[in-house]
Amino acid sequence: MDSLRKSNRANDAFNKAWDKWRKGFITLSSLVVKNVKNQYRRSVLGILWTVLNPLLNMLVMAFVFSNIFGRKGIEMDYPVYVLSGNIVFTLFSAASTNAMTSIVSNYDLLYKTKVPFSVFPLSQIFSASVNFLFSLIALVAVMLIRIPNGVTFHWSMLMILVPWLPAILLFTTGVSYLLCTVFVRFRDIKHFYSVLVRLWMYLTPIFYSLSSLNLSDTASRLMQFNPMLHYLDYFRSVTLGTIPGVREHAIIYGVGLAVFAVGWLAFRLSRNKFILHI
Amino acid sequence: MKNAAYTEIVKNFNEDPDMLIEARDVCMTFKMPTERIDNLKEFAIKFIKHKIRYQKLEVLKDVNLSVARGESLALIGRNGAGKSTLLKILAGIVTPTSGLVLTKGNTVPLLKLGAGFDMNASGKENIFLNGAMMGFSRREMLKKYDSIVEFSELKNFMNVPLKNYSSGMISRLGFAIAVDVNPDLMLIDEVLGVGDIPFRNKCAAKIDELKTNGTTFIVVSHSMSQILTLCQKAVYLENGIVKMQGNVNEVAKAYVSDCEKLGIKTQK
Repeated sequence: MDSLRKSNRANDAFNKAWDKWRKGFITLSSLVVKNVKNQYRRSVLGILWTVLNPLLNMLVMAFVFSNIFGRKGIEMDYPVYVLSGNIVFTLFSAASTNAMTSIVSNYDLLYKTKVPFSVFPLSQIFSASVNFLFSLIALVAVMLIRIPNGVTFHWSMLMILVPWLPAILLFTTGVSYLLCTVFVRFRDIKHFYSVLVRLWMYLTPIFYSLSSLNLSDTASRLMQFNPMLHYLDYFRSVTLGTIPGVREHAIIYGVGLAVFAVGWLAFRLSRNKFILHI
Repeated sequence: MKNAAYTEIVKNFNEDPDMLIEARDVCMTFKMPTERIDNLKEFAIKFIKHKIRYQKLEVLKDVNLSVARGESLALIGRNGAGKSTLLKILAGIVTPTSGLVLTKGNTVPLLKLGAGFDMNASGKENIFLNGAMMGFSRREMLKKYDSIVEFSELKNFMNVPLKNYSSGMISRLGFAIAVDVNPDLMLIDEVLGVGDIPFRNKCAAKIDELKTNGTTFIVVSHSMSQILTLCQKAVYLENGIVKMQGNVNEVAKAYVSDCEKLGIKTQK
C-alpha cells in the first residue's frame, strides 16, 4: 500500500515535469515563429530575405575584400569562403545580441504570466538558427553556381547539422545567458557588446585566412583562443570534404559545454533578483 | 525545528485533496539601492567609495494563509500593501525570500489582460500566441477558437492587426482568451472592470459560471461590491503584514471603516 502510494507520487512528479517541459516547448516554438515572422512582416519578398540577405552581404564582402586582402592561402572558392564565414558568425552574433535584451524587453510576460524565464533567450537563439538554416540554402545555391570554378559537394557537409550545429548552439546559448544576466543589471553592456562583437568579427578569419597574415608565433597561438575560429574551421573543413579529427570535436564540444555551464549557472543564480533591476 | 514543522505541513497538504494553497511565514524583502544604479561607471565609482547604500524594503512579512477548494479569497488593502506581490508569489511567478508556498491543481494567473500580445500580428494570430504562452498547443487552441471569438464579439476583426484595435477591444480579447479554461484556481489582479457595460456584465456572468464549475478565485480588487459577491474569505494587508483575515464581510467592514477613519471614500 505504502509502496503503491510512493510510486503514484513518483508518477505524479514525472507527469508534472513532463507537462512543464511540454508547455515550455509550445511557448518556445511559438515565440520562434513570431520572431521569424515579425522580421520580414510587410516586406514584399518576406521570408525570401533570409536567403537573400546573406547572399547580398557575401557579394559585398567578396567584392570589397578579395581586392584588399587577396585570396592568398585560401584553398576554398572565395565566395564560398566568405559566405560560410559570414553565415556562421551571423548565427552567433545575431543570436547573442538579440538574446541579451530579451529578458528586459519581455517584462510583461515575465511578471504577469507563468512563462519560464529561460524561454526568452532561447527563443532568440532558435530564431537565429532558423535564419541560419535558410542561409544554408544560400550557401548551397552559391556552391551550385561555382561548380564550373571547381566547387564540389561532399556528404560530410551533412555534419554541419549534426554534430556541428548543437555544439555552436551550446556555446551561443552560454554566452547569451551570461549577457542576459549582466544586461538586467547593467544596461551598458549593450553598447559595449556591439563594439566587442565587431572586434571579434575582425579577429575571426571570415574574409581572410590566418596564414596570409604572417603572424608571429605568439600572436597565432593567441588567435587559437578564439572559439569562433574553431567553429568556423570545422564548418569549412566539412564543407570541403575533410572529416575533422577527435581533437576538433573535443574542442567544439568542450568549449560549448563549458561556456553553456557558466552561462546557465549565472542565469539560474541571479534569476530571482531580476525583478529588482528590470 | 522549522524544517520538521514544514515537512508535517507538506505531508498534510499533499494528503488533503481539498487544499489548494498553503502559505507559511512568507516574507518578501527587497534590497533596494537608495538610488538607482544601472550603469557600470556609477557602480564602480560608488563601489570603490563604499557609497552603495541599500535599503531593506519589506514588502511582505510572515504571511500565513490557506485556501481550500471553493473558498474564494480576496486580498484587500491600500496601494503598496503587498497585495500584488503576494498574488505573484501564490501564482508561482515570483519566489519569496523565505517561507513555504504550496499549491495544487491547475493555476491560471490573470494579472494583466493580453500580456505578451503582439501588436503587429492579427487578432487570430494573437489568440494562438497567447494560448501558447499558457502552454496550449495550436491544436488545443483550435478547439477553443470559436468560443473565444464568440465571447469577445470581435469576429469581424480577427484578421486586423492588433495595433488597429481600440484599448477596450484588446482587453476584451485578452479576457476572452484568459477565461476560456477551467482552472482549479484563478488569480485575478484588478482586471475585472474591462470593456463597456454589456461586456462587463458578460464577464461577471462568465466568472459566475466558472465559480459554479468549481473554480476557486483569489482576487485583488478595490471594489468592495465585487469582492463581497465573489469571495467567502478575505485577507487584509497593511504594509506587508496581515492585519486581519477571515470572513469576507467582517474583514471588508474593518477595512472600509479604517479607510473612512482616514477620510478616504471607498467604492460601495
